[in-house]
Amino acid sequence: MENGLSLTLDHIFSSLFELSPEVILSIGILLVIVVGLVKKDHAITTLLTLLIFSFSFLFVLSDLDTLQQPLLLFQGMLRKDTFSLYLSALVDAAGILTVLMSWRNQREQSHLQEYYALIITVALGAHLLVMSTNFVMVFLSLELISISSYVLTGFSFDKKGAEGSLKYFLFGSVASAVMLYGISLFYGFTGTLEFLSEEFLKNLAGNITPLFFIAGLMVVSGFLYKLAAAPLHPWAPDVYEASPMPVVAFFSTVPKLAGIGVLTRFAMTLKMADQSYDWQSILSVIAILSLTIGNFSALLQKNTKRLMAYSSIAQAGFLLIGVVAFLPQGIHFMLFYATVYVAMNFVVFIYLQYFEKNGFVTIAEFEGIGKTFLWPCVFLLIGFVSLTGLPPTGGFTAKLFIFSSLWDAYQLSGKNILLWLLIFGLLNTVVSLFYYLRIPYYAFIKNRSINITTNILAFENLFGLVLVLLILLFFFSPGLLMGWINKITFVSVIRFPLSVIG
Amino acid sequence: MHHYYISLLIFIPLLAAVAGLFVPAGAAKYFRYSTLFVNLLQCMVLIAMVMEYIPAQGMQLVERKDWITLNIGTWGILKAEYFVGIDGLSLPLVALSVFVLLIATISSWTINKNVKGYFILLLILNAAIIGSFTALDFLLFYLFFEFMLLPMFFLIAIWGGARREYASIKFFLYTLLGSIFILIVMIGLYISVHDPNYSGQLVHSFSVLNMADASNFISHTILDPNNAWTIGPMNARLWAFLLLFIGFAIKLPMVPVHTWLPDAHVEAPTPVSVILAALLLKIGGYGLARIAFPIFPEAAIHFSTFIGIMGVISIIYGGLNAMASKDLKRLIAYSSVSHMGFVLLGFASLTPEGVAGSVYQMFSHGIISAMLFLLVGVLYDRTHDRTIVNYSGLSSKMKSYTALVLVGFFASMGLPAFSGFIAEIMIFLGAFKANSVNGLLHESLAIIATLGLILGAAYYLWTLQRMFFGPYDLKGNIAHDSIYDLTDREYLMLVPLAIAVLFFGIFPQPMINIIDPFAQNFSEFVLRAGKSLTLNP
Repeated sequence: MENGLSLTLDHIFSSLFELSPEVILSIGILLVIVVGLVKKDHAITTLLTLLIFSFSFLFVLSDLDTLQQPLLLFQGMLRKDTFSLYLSALVDAAGILTVLMSWRNQREQSHLQEYYALIITVALGAHLLVMSTNFVMVFLSLELISISSYVLTGFSFDKKGAEGSLKYFLFGSVASAVMLYGISLFYGFTGTLEFLSEEFLKNLAGNITPLFFIAGLMVVSGFLYKLAAAPLHPWAPDVYEASPMPVVAFFSTVPKLAGIGVLTRFAMTLKMADQSYDWQSILSVIAILSLTIGNFSALLQKNTKRLMAYSSIAQAGFLLIGVVAFLPQGIHFMLFYATVYVAMNFVVFIYLQYFEKNGFVTIAEFEGIGKTFLWPCVFLLIGFVSLTGLPPTGGFTAKLFIFSSLWDAYQLSGKNILLWLLIFGLLNTVVSLFYYLRIPYYAFIKNRSINITTNILAFENLFGLVLVLLILLFFFSPGLLMGWINKITFVSVIRFPLSVIG
Repeated sequence: MHHYYISLLIFIPLLAAVAGLFVPAGAAKYFRYSTLFVNLLQCMVLIAMVMEYIPAQGMQLVERKDWITLNIGTWGILKAEYFVGIDGLSLPLVALSVFVLLIATISSWTINKNVKGYFILLLILNAAIIGSFTALDFLLFYLFFEFMLLPMFFLIAIWGGARREYASIKFFLYTLLGSIFILIVMIGLYISVHDPNYSGQLVHSFSVLNMADASNFISHTILDPNNAWTIGPMNARLWAFLLLFIGFAIKLPMVPVHTWLPDAHVEAPTPVSVILAALLLKIGGYGLARIAFPIFPEAAIHFSTFIGIMGVISIIYGGLNAMASKDLKRLIAYSSVSHMGFVLLGFASLTPEGVAGSVYQMFSHGIISAMLFLLVGVLYDRTHDRTIVNYSGLSSKMKSYTALVLVGFFASMGLPAFSGFIAEIMIFLGAFKANSVNGLLHESLAIIATLGLILGAAYYLWTLQRMFFGPYDLKGNIAHDSIYDLTDREYLMLVPLAIAVLFFGIFPQPMINIIDPFAQNFSEFVLRAGKSLTLNP
């Protein structure tokens, strides 16, 4: 018994060393708060946060390079594999971009250390969520993301922020409760919380009842909530509108990445365990709903943040397509899509923030600013073109890939719903063009003379230029990124049972 | 020996566009002259290209470089190439592009609003058009095809007329919808096709030439010709052809998906109208001949009657609409719809004469429509009014102008000695012969299509009578002193076009020598391949 205990302790210790990025982030949270108490200078806090994210990013990258086979940590609580590492790297990259965006955002200066600490906390939650293989861990990391997000939403400290924050909280707690109920049902069916374990699969396979189906839907809906996919999307527009711009950019990427990561794992298990319910079709319907609701609602928006909220709902639909294919290349292409999505989303948000600072908030206010702000408007246009998915941008390549895997899935399964998803997804591109081009359209085509002097060497332009070049690079040589992504093995649970602990 | 002619044609304007970004916006002269210089350089490259070209040789001056090679695990390798070349289909169209773009630049001399942006967009458009006409890799073609949209959108939306915003968005949405249809088929095709040059490896190829060979399809894929899927009431390959057909028909444009064209034309500035009518429409016809027909030959045969009927409907409906138009530019736009209907009819006949006629028609309509839109532009520059009934007896005040209008109108009517005549007579021959040669089109279609000629004569002659003859009078708010004859710059644009129209009407042989080998091969290939592929019911 004592021997067993010390073995367990050893295992926990060795697990801890495998978690260096997460450890860095955890220490970082405390460090940022402490340093913020001592030094009021905002540059130091920002730099420190930047450093923390960069370190975590570098550690993740080095792990991604060296990791030979998936590791199960903390006795099956977490699973560290190339898939989770890749998503963690993206989360850290999004964190770095958010900090860079916040750098010159004046509003948060009064509570800067709390602001950064919360951002790091969300990133930590995302790291853990994409690694989770245990329902308890899933719930904990999801709540880590959620609770920090509720606070971040209200960080402009005005009435609108408070309202958005409260709405988010109410929606979020219901979604969590529903998911928790689903989890408890699963525990009842299988007697284990580790949803990637053989035991879970075995017990589930003999237990396919309508109740199981409902439990599955409940858990999936918890993930869809984080993903802001329809029909669990209504919180997004209000929350986006209330939050400060860097937070919106952060929300539209990091929780989504975490949500799609855990959803992918869970959906694979469901599909494997269950032959009687067609999870592929269910997820297809969700993807179609997200695409259609997101795009059509966006058509009516007047506020840029709400527009981007609906855009992010539609983009969640595209991410889901990669999962729906249930093919290895589908997941690879989904990761490619996610990477391009982070880049193009940040380009758009950087400039939306830039224009917000100059006083342009509603779409109509962008009227005629194309001449004065030539480069910001051109970069914004490239970001929007990429979100639409037109060449020569990475958005096109990503869409091409993701629809290729869908076509392949249709070819393999012959399910008509997949064909409908293909057609709906592509036709939605036409709809999305209509609203994505609204802002550039107002900026370039409407006429209005304004007297604002601009500095072409602004920080935003440099920052935007790098991301725009990245988006173009993703189009002209997608092989660079796909080379990395190809190394990711998304192996199913059967071939790597619990015996590889440690 | 390595040729870089095509790359030169594509990249010279792109480089000039990039260089232009760094020139201050105030240097209007620089932008005008540098674009003109680019056009002249392209003309020189074109002449060199034509000298090298050997009509009997098929695809030539090919350049092939790896572009994207992605290894995607068990699924194989995705391979897209920078793959360009020209043959009897693309050479006339490339030549037309270079020529018309030069004229369009001269016509753009009067643009004064945001000169920098205008010429940079024009240069990007230039590269995209030539790229579309030469690309042999589907992904590359699609890139250029889409890349035309944004510059065109801004050119209409910023420099256009009163309802420019409506027209530009309508143009964009229609064309994007069409290109989405094309994209769906492109995805299906490259997944289904492998490159036979790689044995032992599964290489998914975007090459149009590979796709046109039925033996390159991977068995049991959706679009496999030997074992294609059935989706709903039809075979998947028929669906795919239909999607491609609609995609290109929107661009062509064919009735009933033509409604963007009159709006776009009426609102676009003159040079943009010229490019739109003379070049962009041709990409629809080009796409059908380069992609849709060879890749899905059995579907082309299956739908040939349908395509022929749609062509005839376009001819008649376009003509009737032209007759009813009150705006001179709208009249010419509808006459374009009518003339592009002939292209459909010629391709549908799948006879060498019909196909050669279609290619000739695309070339000749390119010159004629460029000339007609410039002529409208001349009048509009003077009076800012295009309403037909507001003018009469212009011939007494604008003698040279009237002479050139006569040339343009007669050419568009299809009178002998003008290039349109040669094209249309070949199409009629092909369509008429089709029933006895391959049984695809009924003779009645050709007979009904001749009505289009009568309609053409009717609306042009009526317009001539109303606007140019009779007593001189101006109605509306047109100032009398605004009417004067052509300037030197206008001669410079119009006379070369008039000469070309006459030259290709009187000496069609050089052009036919280029087109004919392609037309022979094309009709023979589509018929043979189409008949050999069994169609599952």
